[in-house]
Amino acid sequence: MSPRLEAEHLFKVFGRRPTEAVERLRQGADRDELRSDGTTAAVIDASFRVEAGEIFVVMGLSGSGKSTLLRMLNGLLEPTAGRVRFDGRDLTGLTDRALRELRSKKISMVFQHFALFPHRSVRDNAAYGLEVQGVPRAERARRADEALALCGLAGWEKSWPDELSGGMQQRVGLARALATDADLLLMDESFSALDPLIRRDMQDQLLELQKTLKKTIVFITHDLNEAMRLGDRIAVMRDGRIVQTGTAEDILLRPAGDYVASFVRDVDRSRVLTAGALMDTSVTGDAPACRCETARPATPFAELCAISARLSHRVSVVDEAGRVVGVVPRQRLVGFLGDEAAGPAPCDNPDGKVISRA
Amino acid sequence: MPRIHLGDWVDSGVDWLVGHLSWLFDAVKAVMEGMYDGIDAVLAAPEPLLMAGILAVAAWWLRGLLAGVLAFAGFALVDSLDLWDRAMSTLALVLVATVIALVISIPLGIWAARSRAVSAAVRPVLDLLQTMPSMVLLIPAMLFFGLGTAAGVVATLIFALAPGVRMTELGIRQVDAELVEAAEAFGTTPRDILWRVQLPLALPTIMAGVNQVIMLGLSMVVIAGMVGTGGLGGAVNEAIGQLDIGYGFEAGVGIVVLAIYLDRVTGALGTRLSPLGRRAAAKTRTRAWSHRPRPAVALAGVVVLALVAGGLGLLGSSAGTSEASGTDVGKGKEIRIGYIPWDEGIASTFLWKEILQERGFEVTTTQYAAGPLYTGLATGQLDFETDSWLPTTHAEYWSKYGDRLDDLGKWFGPTSLELTVPSYVKDVNSLADLRDHADEFDGKIIGIEPSAGMMGLLKSKVLKEYGLQDAYDVVDGSTPAMLAELKRAYARKQPVVVTLWSPHWAYSDYGLKKLKDPRGAWGKGDGVHTLARKGFAADNPQVGKWLKDFSMTEEQLTGLEAEIQKAGKGKEQDAVRGWLRRHPGLIDKWAPVAKDDARSQAAG
Repeated sequence: MSPRLEAEHLFKVFGRRPTEAVERLRQGADRDELRSDGTTAAVIDASFRVEAGEIFVVMGLSGSGKSTLLRMLNGLLEPTAGRVRFDGRDLTGLTDRALRELRSKKISMVFQHFALFPHRSVRDNAAYGLEVQGVPRAERARRADEALALCGLAGWEKSWPDELSGGMQQRVGLARALATDADLLLMDESFSALDPLIRRDMQDQLLELQKTLKKTIVFITHDLNEAMRLGDRIAVMRDGRIVQTGTAEDILLRPAGDYVASFVRDVDRSRVLTAGALMDTSVTGDAPACRCETARPATPFAELCAISARLSHRVSVVDEAGRVVGVVPRQRLVGFLGDEAAGPAPCDNPDGKVISRA
Repeated sequence: MPRIHLGDWVDSGVDWLVGHLSWLFDAVKAVMEGMYDGIDAVLAAPEPLLMAGILAVAAWWLRGLLAGVLAFAGFALVDSLDLWDRAMSTLALVLVATVIALVISIPLGIWAARSRAVSAAVRPVLDLLQTMPSMVLLIPAMLFFGLGTAAGVVATLIFALAPGVRMTELGIRQVDAELVEAAEAFGTTPRDILWRVQLPLALPTIMAGVNQVIMLGLSMVVIAGMVGTGGLGGAVNEAIGQLDIGYGFEAGVGIVVLAIYLDRVTGALGTRLSPLGRRAAAKTRTRAWSHRPRPAVALAGVVVLALVAGGLGLLGSSAGTSEASGTDVGKGKEIRIGYIPWDEGIASTFLWKEILQERGFEVTTTQYAAGPLYTGLATGQLDFETDSWLPTTHAEYWSKYGDRLDDLGKWFGPTSLELTVPSYVKDVNSLADLRDHADEFDGKIIGIEPSAGMMGLLKSKVLKEYGLQDAYDVVDGSTPAMLAELKRAYARKQPVVVTLWSPHWAYSDYGLKKLKDPRGAWGKGDGVHTLARKGFAADNPQVGKWLKDFSMTEEQLTGLEAEIQKAGKGKEQDAVRGWLRRHPGLIDKWAPVAKDDARSQAAG
């Protein structure tokens, strides 16, 4: 099966003679060389695939080209070179009219600063996409109200955007994107403008919604913690290039290069790491040897530590069928916390006797 | 530097346009005048107080009770100043100019907002339109559209276009780019982005532009008054032309009432139109004085008032048909006289207005500056004027327009032009004496309108002849300003030298001394001629004959002038009537009607 969304060697260059610039980039010229000529390479040779039902996070600092990349996915910006395929259709070959049709029905977008229309009520905002599609008034009000209820805004339909808090405004933005039943949701730093607590709420709510809705989501953020929390897979961008694509654990445990490594250094690993990432997979079996508590591969680090503390031996990790897929010795838990991969050094007092304190 | 003949190019360009595109100008003119006449007819039809009521209900609906009451009071004031018809014609003019300005400027503003190239191209044009002195554009507008409403509308329009375009462009550009992007991201077509997102959000700014258009339009009505649009602008013009401060102030108050009304009402309209504004207005607490009726109630009020007005109009229109008489030569035929506010011009114009009305003509008199007056005659907008000093003083106008005018002959003469000092100024008796007394007069000669023929003569010939060009500056101004300066200096016994001419009532009011002209620099005396549009005398042989035979003595003229001067602004015709009553027989002498003549005229 082909992926829902696929980007192939996307380039976006702003400024004079863009195609020439792409050619130079392909031959290895870097961004700064072009900048001195007055052209800006926003996205350089970006390729990735997003499967249906997946949350794909593009993470990068400001200026890394992630927002430009996102806008090429729904045709708001035309790639200078490369292709975007959505459900196997090449967006770069579509007419403006076909692109608009696609955007109104299949791809919707949630913005950083909400971008709610101040001259429309909450309901009319949520119904905007349907209005563009030409859905009759009664039906679009019904569907907009459903989408608002889904986002926890039942009862606020007649309010106005400026009467709502930031978090609630972004829920309206989300409801507007969901109301059209689009398959693909593009979210451009959608939670960045919110307070940390509300941001967390929104992240939880998005994950909750995703369990039932199974949309395909491309989520842009500059916050690695957010990327780790939300992303099934993450692409890290730097200076217009994607430097690494992988799961949260891939990024965290096997950073590709110093840039990503320096990036992940400050991440709270205990939140991201799971038993599956930590376990020693050399030990497997059809069933655990004892009846002690076991962990699942998805068990988070903190919970794994708690289990480990209750057991006298290493924690077995079992899959859904109850087979042991790996074990986590306590040593490993402590080692990952301390960022220490090597095994323990031998001790000159192996019995561990306490030396007299007197 | 080589002399670039920009002026010549513009001249020939204008000539070409007048020659080749007159059909276009005529069409535009017809549209504008049609709109103006329609709106003016509607506004002026009801009884003034009923119309004031209708306007007040509109203000009540849009802004609240207090606004309605004040609007009514303001319009009632205008009516009680006897300026109602003028106010309504000004309102109609401003409305027409505003509508046309908006029809042009809003689409242009939208276009400019969407294209940087258009924006860059439009901006200098707007700068030109907005800053080019309006009189400079007024004269070509007159050549294209003739005197009257159309030229006035165009002058107003040109000035008022810029804020409409600018504010529309600004409003649309100010709309948050993220909102526009959001609309695009949901597949909105460019046209719908404009209608659903950009225009609604730009509406407050656009309405501020509309407001500016109206305000600038109102500020232009005075300028437009110079080309004979009448209305309050015409009233202000006449008042300042004759230094009638009181009347000018009254007309100015009328303009202020209109301006405040239009400003507040369009401001409120902007709030009502914009969803955001409506919501903000709904939030503020309602008090008794800000109570607003529901639209249905307001509409009903307007309709009731309009119906009452219509009823009264029907009742009123049956009265006032004129009875025919043996002296009714004109049978209501219209004659348009133009005049420059010079004293002998006013006197002879109103004299003929009275005479011709007595003979059954419908006479309109309109005041102009010299340039527009001659243009109006040459293009057939006016029938005749009575105040051309030929062959010397107005030689320039005659050489430019003479081939399109008929000279109906001299009715007074000889005249003389001179520099004049009060008789208390000793030692200065001749132009030759001025040179040594430059300090005494502060090196200034108080002049009149720069367009006046004698000013040209003074600057180009007289000063040189007596070697005064270095010692003196000629102060351009207006006849009333010159007379005011003379009066002021005379009262304080200060030395002053002014341009003056004979005959003039000032010679009988003040002790003045004409400076001798031993070298004959002012030339021989002129005659005051009546000039008519080409063919006027042929169209109206009887009137043509009267005008050709007309002549006045100096005693008659100065007497009439002094009478008018005493009666004051707005009472010219009363003064003429009184003067004619005291000099019986003059009407029959100047406009004789044989019984047979009257018949044949009527049959023809």
